[in-house]
Amino acid sequence: MDTHANESSGPRDSRAGFGPAPSVRTFGLVNWRGVWTLYQREVKRFLKVGFQTVAAPIVTTLLFYTIFSVALEGRVGVVGSTPFVTFLAPGLIMMAILQNSFQNTSSSLMTAKVQGNIVDVLMPPIVPVEMVCGYIGGGVTRGVLVGTTTTVVMTFFVDFPFHSIAAIIFFAVAASAMLSLLGLMGGIWAEKFDHMAAVTNFVIMPLSFLSGTFYSIQRLPEFWQHVAALNPFFYAIDGFRYGFIGQGDAPVWLGASVLLAIDILLFLAVHRMLVTGYKLKS
Amino acid sequence: MLGGPPIARRFGSINLRGLATFYRREFVRGMKIWSLTLAAPALRAILFASVFGLAIDRPGMTMSGMPFLEFLVPGLIVVAALERAFESSAFSMVYEKTEGIFSDMAALPLTPGEIVIAYAAATVTGSVLVSAIVWAALFPIGGTLPVSPLALLFFIAAGSLMVGLFSQISGLWARKWDYIISVQTFVFMPFVFLSGVFFSLDELSEGARFYAQFNPVFYIVDGVRYALTGQAEADPWLGAAVCLAVVAVLWAIAYRLFAIGYRYKS
Repeated sequence: MDTHANESSGPRDSRAGFGPAPSVRTFGLVNWRGVWTLYQREVKRFLKVGFQTVAAPIVTTLLFYTIFSVALEGRVGVVGSTPFVTFLAPGLIMMAILQNSFQNTSSSLMTAKVQGNIVDVLMPPIVPVEMVCGYIGGGVTRGVLVGTTTTVVMTFFVDFPFHSIAAIIFFAVAASAMLSLLGLMGGIWAEKFDHMAAVTNFVIMPLSFLSGTFYSIQRLPEFWQHVAALNPFFYAIDGFRYGFIGQGDAPVWLGASVLLAIDILLFLAVHRMLVTGYKLKS
Repeated sequence: MLGGPPIARRFGSINLRGLATFYRREFVRGMKIWSLTLAAPALRAILFASVFGLAIDRPGMTMSGMPFLEFLVPGLIVVAALERAFESSAFSMVYEKTEGIFSDMAALPLTPGEIVIAYAAATVTGSVLVSAIVWAALFPIGGTLPVSPLALLFFIAAGSLMVGLFSQISGLWARKWDYIISVQTFVFMPFVFLSGVFFSLDELSEGARFYAQFNPVFYIVDGVRYALTGQAEADPWLGAAVCLAVVAVLWAIAYRLFAIGYRYKS
């Protein structure tokens, strides 16, 4: 008690020993400190289990890589003019990015809901836009970090041409923003961990497995090619792969526009959910 | 009015009622979320089959002397069974630990052997159920009627028992969710994925093949493949012996840990 009073060097009021009286904190149009604090919390949440966050996707990616390269490469050979493993690796990295950014926002909201401390996010003086930005920031940071580490590890095994670094960065950020937003939506909607697991199993998993990570969609029958073109995850992986090897199934500008449009739509949707307090405020 | 004082319940050398109750709780706990424990594995198996089919399979391609998908299906059934087995006991234990009720275990009128049996029985029933569902789901893609139903039941049961005991040990060791997820990612997944689910050991180099035959999961996959298609890479009797030996060792460890109340009796 006393030490606290001694440490504060600000002006004293008559209530000796209690430091200055609280004053209203003022901020301009944007509560930068609020957004920054939420962002930091979101990042620290995953850094606390940093080893797991970084090492788990590396192990999973390497396992898939081993299965396909050591055991099956001789049977597949090339996709287009690219060796199969060079074709596969960017897809595996993107899968890790998608999974991790989704997990960051969804688990954050889910844990807060189940433990009942969600009010601590709803009470502070930040508006919905700031809240969404803070959460996305955390999800994108994790996605990009995981993407970077798995890419570094994969360069030991695969010779990437690195066709366009700009495309790699754009698609990594746009895709992790998309999945962070989906994670937020799922987290807001789900009432229990079971609901969240259902979203992961029945929505996220199928969309990412059937996205063209493991095969070029040109291998699909024509009807299914059209269906695959409706899967936004396909554009994330296709564009990201284009950045690595310089070829893709869809034009890169189309993929970039689709992802941007979806990011904006999801942002508006999540924002709307927060404004109305859907499943968060009663 | 209230009758006599409560009397101690008596039971013979095995507390059958306690065992059955505990078994039922464990089994129901898994089946209550059937969409995640039964439907999701079936969907996942179909996804894997489609993805591997599209990426790898080519007309006329064979693996270990059979069409690729026919080779793959037994492996996917085993993956589903073992995943369920790993999640059953450990997840149940860690859930209780985070709720702070796991130490109730110390007060159960069950011997360590009875606890191990109850957990294991719930695991094996769940896994057999999942296997049946996944088998049915994959049947149109590349399934076969079992050549030897008895061997099929044996290898599914022995495999899920093996992983179920490992799950009990991991669950006792884990203090929080992080721990158990780490075991799943860094131990369980590599053993399962590198076991010959997706490829025949003939595809591997000499050196890799040498290590692969020390993976007990290989013998489960190979045994189930033998039971479903009639073809195997190793002698099924050797596979059965390996499974039983590993089960015996894990059983002894699990028994010992419950006997000393590892991490729950202080």
